[in-house]
Amino acid sequence: MKKSNLALALAAAFAASPALGQATVDQKLEILQQEIDDLKAQARRAAPPTQQPAAPYAQDYGSPLGRSLSLGSGGTNITGYGEMGYSKFRRSGDARADLQRFVFGFNHRFDEQLTFHSEIEIEHAVVSSSDNGEAEIEQAWLNYKVSDAANVKGGLFLIPLGILNETHEPPTYYGVMRNQVETRVIPTTWRELGAGVHGIAGEGLRYDAGITTNFDSGKLDDPTTGIRSGHQEGQLANARNLAVYAALNYRRPGLLVGGGIFTGDTGQNGASNPALRGVSARLTLWDLHAQYRVAGLDLQALYAAGSLGDSDRLNAAILANATANGTTPFAAPKTIRGGYVQAAYHAYRRGQFDIAPFARYERIDIKQQEDPANGQLQDPNNIERIKTFGVNFWVHPQVVLKADIQRYTTDKSQDRFNLGLGFMF
Amino acid sequence: MNRRPLRSLALLMLALGAVAAGLARGEVYQEPDAFVAEVFGSKPPAPKVLWLTQDIQTQAAAILGHPPAQLRQRHWSDSHRSVWILEEIGKEELITAGFVVVDGRIDHVRVLVYRESRGQEVRAPSFLKQFKEAKLAPDDRLDREIDGIAGATLSVAAMQRMARLALFLDRIIRK
Repeated sequence: MKKSNLALALAAAFAASPALGQATVDQKLEILQQEIDDLKAQARRAAPPTQQPAAPYAQDYGSPLGRSLSLGSGGTNITGYGEMGYSKFRRSGDARADLQRFVFGFNHRFDEQLTFHSEIEIEHAVVSSSDNGEAEIEQAWLNYKVSDAANVKGGLFLIPLGILNETHEPPTYYGVMRNQVETRVIPTTWRELGAGVHGIAGEGLRYDAGITTNFDSGKLDDPTTGIRSGHQEGQLANARNLAVYAALNYRRPGLLVGGGIFTGDTGQNGASNPALRGVSARLTLWDLHAQYRVAGLDLQALYAAGSLGDSDRLNAAILANATANGTTPFAAPKTIRGGYVQAAYHAYRRGQFDIAPFARYERIDIKQQEDPANGQLQDPNNIERIKTFGVNFWVHPQVVLKADIQRYTTDKSQDRFNLGLGFMF
Repeated sequence: MNRRPLRSLALLMLALGAVAAGLARGEVYQEPDAFVAEVFGSKPPAPKVLWLTQDIQTQAAAILGHPPAQLRQRHWSDSHRSVWILEEIGKEELITAGFVVVDGRIDHVRVLVYRESRGQEVRAPSFLKQFKEAKLAPDDRLDREIDGIAGATLSVAAMQRMARLALFLDRIIRK
């Protein structure tokens, strides 16, 4: 309501309320509040249909300042999260400190049903041509909500596989580093351009399905991270081959059980590597996961597996590319599997403080298509076991200090001690 | 590209659309007036207003983690019950919830409006029933643990803050 209208309302309230003379201060204020509410309601009814806020946000839900009104049209807010860490490597004695990421998001509500969500990420503090940092759009998507049961989304959004990919704010997971299964098998933070439908199909049962861009296997350049280096992240993505995904998750207090699948061809008709023209190189990746929280105990498990087809032809394409560019060829990933189990116990809770030691065991098996004649061999570090023992200390539900020790079975150069600080708002 | 998955997805989306249309519900689950009427019957008491004095604001801020957004809070109450319609931001947007306090304990809670794109699970009875009979501990925290919902951490936290505030405000009006 405009200030002039409010002044009029107050004046009218004083003039039109004979009871004010005998009332107490509280009664007077209540009468005035009622008058203002009535006038607001009249003003809303009198407004042209195009300007009249629709029902849910036109209500003043008992909050005298009516904050909800501001969300009816044009509400914009900012969210964010970030983490920084220190790692001391056991074998080399090297140590490294890093602001791993700072992410800020702008979210906007156009009206009751249409909203925009975004996250912009800066990794490793500095972004320039001579630094290791990256600036990237992690999400930028629009959501049209028909109801809780039916939403339609479009844009660059996170693929609903695993636990971490959609919920990766540092206070929501254990350990300084994100787990390796949901980094090398499920390439968190994994997003694609596309469209989908999602919603709640029953109490606690959430579905999400859609069609998106896919990986480009012609862009594979890192043999240690499965298919991760073939992701396109919405950057001039080759989109001759698309993918489909579907996920179901059932949530109750303390319980999450779910899974998802993502599948589609990745050859992109040779757009990045002409040797892949006509090659489908189908990628299928799926996962099952569960979380259970009871009596201060947090249990979590996840298993993910996938395959990349035409790996012999991918090998030939990688070899051709390496020969042309003078780089070392590597063997294409063929099957990708991994899983972990994790247990934590909230040993101390007082006020906002919450201390939970945890242990996690991870297995990663990324099998590659070997071609010894051309030097394309299995990378031994792709068969890995990782044990992590540590503690999360929440000083506030949204701010966490972390410490852990990690032991790798194969690549022992990664054995380390980590300290971290994470936050979200 | 093999088109079979696309056809399958199109069929899946159509099926889901049909299911969704059948289940379609607005995001306003219950009007506040209806919530109040449900508690008090067809003749609810007139709303009252509690002034949030500096002292109350300080204590409310300790509960919420931020100063309350308003200087006055409306409520409905009789000799032993009080109803509070409160709002807190989950991750991005306000959650509007109704709290019924009976003799200093939560009698029941209902999410009246949920605006976030994810986390609607906080309106499920299985989550809300955890608040039943909850009261404030001496440190103004709930006297029990509320199990969270994966992926709805901030909405769960907002619901707990509002429950604590409702109990705190009920205590104030009973003084």
